[in-house]
Amino acid sequence: TLVYVNVLNIEIILSELKNNDNVKNNVRKPKNARTKRILKKREPKVEENVKTAIFVRGSTTSQVVNDALSDLCRLRRTNSINFTKKNNIHPFDDDTSLNFYCSKNDASLFVIGSHSKKRPHNLVFGRMFDGQLLDMIEVGIEKAITMSEIKSQKCSVGMKPLFIFNGDLFETSQVHKTFKNMMLDFFRGQNLESINISGLEYVISITATGSIVDSDSTASSTSDGKIFFRVYTIQMTKSGQKAPRIELEEMGPSYDFKLRRTKFAKEEVYKIATKVPKTLKPKKVKNIDVNEIGDKVGHIHVGRQDLGKLQTRKMKGLKRMTEDDQTEDWSRKKRKS
Amino acid sequence: MDVSAQLEAQKSKFKSINVEKQVSLQFDLGLLASFDTNALEENKLKTETDNYLKSYTRDGTQLLINEIFQLPLTSVQDVGVVVELPKIVTAIPREKPLPKPKPPTRWERFAKLKGIKKNKKSKLIYDEEKGEWVPRWGYKGANDDGSNEWLVPVPDNADPFEDQFTKLREAKKERISKNEARRRRNMDEAETGETQKLENKSKAGAKALKKTELHQQISVAKTSTASLGKFDKPIKGEPSNTKGVKRKFEPNIGDIQKEKEARLNILNKIIDKKGEVLNVRKAIAKNHQEN
Repeated sequence: TLVYVNVLNIEIILSELKNNDNVKNNVRKPKNARTKRILKKREPKVEENVKTAIFVRGSTTSQVVNDALSDLCRLRRTNSINFTKKNNIHPFDDDTSLNFYCSKNDASLFVIGSHSKKRPHNLVFGRMFDGQLLDMIEVGIEKAITMSEIKSQKCSVGMKPLFIFNGDLFETSQVHKTFKNMMLDFFRGQNLESINISGLEYVISITATGSIVDSDSTASSTSDGKIFFRVYTIQMTKSGQKAPRIELEEMGPSYDFKLRRTKFAKEEVYKIATKVPKTLKPKKVKNIDVNEIGDKVGHIHVGRQDLGKLQTRKMKGLKRMTEDDQTEDWSRKKRKS
Repeated sequence: MDVSAQLEAQKSKFKSINVEKQVSLQFDLGLLASFDTNALEENKLKTETDNYLKSYTRDGTQLLINEIFQLPLTSVQDVGVVVELPKIVTAIPREKPLPKPKPPTRWERFAKLKGIKKNKKSKLIYDEEKGEWVPRWGYKGANDDGSNEWLVPVPDNADPFEDQFTKLREAKKERISKNEARRRRNMDEAETGETQKLENKSKAGAKALKKTELHQQISVAKTSTASLGKFDKPIKGEPSNTKGVKRKFEPNIGDIQKEKEARLNILNKIIDKKGEVLNVRKAIAKNHQEN
């Protein structure tokens, strides 16, 4: 009975707190225009802002992991927050602290780096949706070369990268498909309608090898599978034709990843998350389709026609005549001639 | 004039931009991405990883750039050549759910009903006194409601010892609190969806209530008199016995013969003439019908 009463009291207190106007529905009324603008920026929109990413260090990290986190942060210059201090965070066990960091910083992408004997040089890439964890992929760094180690010219800050995904695992394996989606999400930058040719400065190439042992298990599915992460700058030279000749030069960090654990959300959550609003869907023009070959086909709707009343060309010679008519005609002709 | 030889010479000066691939690549140009499903040479990957990856990626990038250059190009002043990107094809999840349309506030509902349209007002207004354009509201605005006046004339019908300044301040406080109350009320209504309910009620009216609901309400109203509607004059055309029939139970101790007959009837219904409990043909047919 004592426990019951306590629960009741808590309910009353909570309901009173909710009725407190300032903290209603977790929404505080902004006191000035600046905070009002910040709140407006953070609310859900039809066309979203560029996603913010946070780079967090776990309780123990290695030099490799630290360098990797800082390099990835540099690749994603704008909209990325680098946490310098170490945090006791274990994403696969408990995601409350993760939700808290992401909601406070209005971030929906995160990378957590850690190092332990069981999982050396560990990176966890993850995404959030609606304040909750959407999916996470854990990779181990087997070989790493930092940006500073490679002496070459780097690209300008904040450019949009080109992506190359090599290997058919990115089409067949569910884990790799999600990894591809996550990499695209991570490094794509701003959504642009048009881009300057000179702004195509670097390319991120991700190659997957290995055989799928069991594509349905959530544990590491490839036995000797590796993912090669390379970044190159693009040099365009004359080719005598419209498109230039491409030469690459290795620029950025280079990693050999090995897939470890994964955690995905349910199918329904993905459906809600990838929902396209009606306003952004391409408008369908009536009666015009593009068929499988690629030709534009139009439909014309003609009303019903009464074939009996059609006006056609008359061919007198083919007119159906009775025997009497024929003989009459002949007799007339004979008389004339 | 045959220039093919010269063209060939020119072409051979430059390196080729063509790349041969067994399976053609998939592109998502909105994201500047290309997806290559060709098989990689495993031994080359193991022995000379970086060089092989570099050359392989160069080929892929070449194809991607070729694709990009096939998009409509425009030459913009001071910027250079700009290419128009198509919409993104891959489904990338959003970070926040789609915004829900806000329900209209009380004023918005009223305005819609009356047909009142919002007039866009200019930010600056010409102040006659000052002789210049000042903001309509806000800092140094023209709509200063007299709360910061240094001189307030006492009106004729007012108490001469009344403090006009406090009066103005109190009035302003009251206006603010009323506005707050309205804002809170709008928020509450938006949360509970009351505006929806009110809209539906005003729209449909009596039609919204289902026939059964109406009948229920009528029957409740009929029996809510002092004598539970027993002595009310019956209305022409109204069904008198709207209530259901009360369930009747046979007494426990009665005619044994009647009881035996009743029970055997039930048994006969369950087990048909052939002595089988389940008529398989009928069961299959019913199953087919249901699915």
